Amino acid sequence: MAEAKNGTKKTTKKTGRLAILAAMGPGLLTAMAGNDAGGIATYSSTGATYGYGMLWTVPLMCILLIVAQETAARMGCATGKGFAALIREQFGVRVSAIAMLALIISNFTVTLSEFAGIASGMELFGIPLQVSVPIAGIATWLLTQSGSYHRVEKILLALSCVFLTYIVSGIISNPDWGLALKDTVVPQFSSDPGYVSLLVANVGTTISPYMLFMVSSNVVEKNLKGSDIPGQRADNVSGVIAAEITTWFIILTTGTVLYPADVTVNSAADAAQALVPLAGQYASALFAAGLAGASFLAACVLPGITASAVCEAFGWERGVDRSWNEAPAYRAIITGITILSAGIVLIPNVDLFGIMMLAQVINGVLLPVLMVCMVLIASDKRVMGQYVNGHVWTVLTWFTIVVVIVLTIIMFVLQAMGL
Amino acid sequence: MIYLSQLLGNPVLDLNGEKIGTVSDLGIATGEVFPRVTSLAFMGPGHTPFMISWRKYVDSYDEHEVHLKVVATDIRFSYLQPNEVLLARDILNKQIVDTRGMRVVRVNDLKLSDTNSTQLRLLGAEVGIRGILRSLSPGIERLALRIAHTFGKQLPEKIIAWSYMDLVERDLSDVKLSVSHKTLDDMHPADIADIIERLDPRLRGQVFAQLDDEQRAGAMAELDDDAMAAQIMGSMDEADASRILSEMDPDDAAELVSELDYDKAEKLLKLMGVNEQKAIRQLLGYREDTAGRIMTSEVVSLPEDKTVADAVERLRGLDEDFESVRYVYLTDEDEKLSGVVTLGRLIVSDPDTRLDDIATKELKTASPEDDQEDVAQDIAKYNLLAMPVVSDEGKLLGIVTVDDALDVLEEEHAEDLQIAGGASSDADGTEHAHDLVWLLRRNAWFFFWVVATAIITFAFKTDTSTFTTALLACAAMPLALVVADDSVSYVTNFFLENDPDDEDSPSTLGFTLRSIGTGLVFALICTLLVLAFVSLALPDASDAALAHALRLGFTAAAVSVLVSFALTPIYLVILRKRDERNQETSGFALAIISMTVAAVVFAIAIAVTGTTGIVLG
Repeated sequence: MAEAKNGTKKTTKKTGRLAILAAMGPGLLTAMAGNDAGGIATYSSTGATYGYGMLWTVPLMCILLIVAQETAARMGCATGKGFAALIREQFGVRVSAIAMLALIISNFTVTLSEFAGIASGMELFGIPLQVSVPIAGIATWLLTQSGSYHRVEKILLALSCVFLTYIVSGIISNPDWGLALKDTVVPQFSSDPGYVSLLVANVGTTISPYMLFMVSSNVVEKNLKGSDIPGQRADNVSGVIAAEITTWFIILTTGTVLYPADVTVNSAADAAQALVPLAGQYASALFAAGLAGASFLAACVLPGITASAVCEAFGWERGVDRSWNEAPAYRAIITGITILSAGIVLIPNVDLFGIMMLAQVINGVLLPVLMVCMVLIASDKRVMGQYVNGHVWTVLTWFTIVVVIVLTIIMFVLQAMGL
Repeated sequence: MIYLSQLLGNPVLDLNGEKIGTVSDLGIATGEVFPRVTSLAFMGPGHTPFMISWRKYVDSYDEHEVHLKVVATDIRFSYLQPNEVLLARDILNKQIVDTRGMRVVRVNDLKLSDTNSTQLRLLGAEVGIRGILRSLSPGIERLALRIAHTFGKQLPEKIIAWSYMDLVERDLSDVKLSVSHKTLDDMHPADIADIIERLDPRLRGQVFAQLDDEQRAGAMAELDDDAMAAQIMGSMDEADASRILSEMDPDDAAELVSELDYDKAEKLLKLMGVNEQKAIRQLLGYREDTAGRIMTSEVVSLPEDKTVADAVERLRGLDEDFESVRYVYLTDEDEKLSGVVTLGRLIVSDPDTRLDDIATKELKTASPEDDQEDVAQDIAKYNLLAMPVVSDEGKLLGIVTVDDALDVLEEEHAEDLQIAGGASSDADGTEHAHDLVWLLRRNAWFFFWVVATAIITFAFKTDTSTFTTALLACAAMPLALVVADDSVSYVTNFFLENDPDDEDSPSTLGFTLRSIGTGLVFALICTLLVLAFVSLALPDASDAALAHALRLGFTAAAVSVLVSFALTPIYLVILRKRDERNQETSGFALAIISMTVAAVVFAIAIAVTGTTGIVLG
């Protein structure tokens, strides 16, 4: 409730610049949360395998992410309804069932990757996964069930800011700036199946389906109105740019340190090598703390978002202040996702880094399902009123959808041929 | 029986069997208990929407197609009437309030009457899982039914009749409803508040806007979450908000105003009538959690020389929304409170009787600065319906009514539970403690034991013999930890049962002596028992090391037990200090502190006695 209270206080003071400042926050938080276990795994892999070869995707992702987040926030402001409720009311039961299935699968795999992230982070501290994962599983379950994860949120968020050290590490590692900038602007292509699936994973981790739901429910909870849209926009753009700068530096650092050394990133320890220029022998401790913190935060948030969206779509009771009797579906979804994903990570000899990457690929594949729903709702004048999508925005969203679908098809074709 | 999901998308055929479109919606007339379907909306070629009268043109219909009575060219199109509601547009997939079950639900399908009769009527909205399955595909619904049947279970339909629906997203005020139709406005304010808490913030505002002022005021007062009430208030039109505040009982209004930010509160108060504003400001002048804050100034008082007839006259002239009257209070010539007359006495007495002849003169009163809990307890103790609050000069300021007293007791009860460690300490207000959380809290000592043992043995790691001794000695630590946990329960129980202002309760000094004595006796008993056990069971020289370790451990535990009980007066002082400042204390937090202290004392005791070799026996 503390959140709701803040919301009132913030919305009551709507004057000029204050309005923009007031709406700041959730966008930044969401974007930073994007640099979770799966994100770090994907970006490190990208840099280590292809050097600066994929830096060009960063500015592109930045624009696409801004489009996606801005649209989600605007839908919330214009209608006062969550994304899931809008899908249900606009498209009926069948489409919502498909969309929710996509969301559940995608969020389930991402949660899986978060537990893998916790496990690999803790392994760097010498704590075996048989210990860290069950404890993390019970802890996240308790925190989500009681809704008290907001108390640890700040600590975890601070921990995940560890990844900002990539910026310092990147500068110290003395990269070839000219080449890096050139590669950022000039796209490169490769028909290597690994390259394409990494590309899909990059899209999947940058524009995660859960982000769309998180942004829109944030806006709805605070009851932001049409007049708050400019503030929301500022918040989203700044958050996305901050997150993408971090991403760019992660790829740059891993591309400078790991690529020439011919290190393939197969584990968290390999990825941590990229921080050696800055932190030396403490690199792996720093990396591990950040990875575990960010993953834990996301593992707390994800099951709740999923359960909340599904219940919203089907009109079941939801919320942390409802008991098992009142909201069985809500609590069962949270419990199911947590237990299943922690359980799968516990399977012996499982490839943790592989799981993290795979989750992002699945994310990328399922993304178009939800993006299509989003763009159709956002360009419907009856729903959005005066806040309906502009042409540029609609075209950009469709462009994203088509690109992701084409990439996904190419990926599957290449893999089928590779077999 | 046919469902809307089975009708939508079906082809519409004219008399010649030519397809002129597909069914897109049905319009119903709202004035009946089972509303008739009055119009058919269909999508013609090129996505052109059309609407025609159901009664005039529809000949027959089933799950596959709709047949019209005339050829396409003879159809005259109609428009949606103001009292018509479109099923697919306004109800299907939308959130509605089930005004009988008092829940917020989403409509999965709509059930219509039998296909045999020419008249098609709406039976109700399907909100259960079967509606979802049917909308996915009727085949899935049949499959689920069969599976359920094999397991001997039923999958009942959950139907909400039209007359128990409130379409919260559509303002029904323009629509003519049947007399038996029960909308949100007809519900009890407490139920409305429950419903509103389950809606999204935006919808909350919209639903609120549909209610009349009196309902709004009632629901506002009933909202459990003050922050939510303040938020709704904040998003409302200022004139509306101040009207609602005026409508509310002054004590509820004061509570709400104190939640708003200062500028907003001032603005709203200024918009109110002078009298109401004065009443609220006066209440706000008192500290939180005092009698002054929860009292209402709406009270009937008369000079004591008036007659019963005067009193009755006065009661008849009261406003409709006046706080319900339980007593008539009497004042003497100095306007001091002098007596009280119950309504019962007024009714049975002769109209000419002077009021002071039938009044009760021995009054239990409260001062506005009194703690609200004390007042509530007095109301319960003396079986009162309301307790007068008087100023130092004896003037009547207001009354605390029994319903407010109940709220206070409930609130205080929750606080007490938290101190006792029985309920969850979440500030978020989750009332139902989880079984697992409960178990974890009850057995927190175990985790302390594991961690402390790890630390202590780690400290003695260098030498194998001291290492084994320390490890064995730690077997006695659970005693120290469990007693530390219990000592906190001992304090909290004492705190809950005894009021420091109560003359009968033991003094702090008495409590200190008593607890130290208890601790001493308990520590002695344990030590003696263990010493006896050691000397009986381990008499041989070969067991000397084991015996030494056990003695070491239990001596340390005894020291720790003593310290735990010696510290209880400090916890008591902390509890009372925090209670005075109206801060909430979690019993679990106290237990954690106490157990940490116990573990530290235990470790020090082992280190000191272990290294110096001073061991009893």
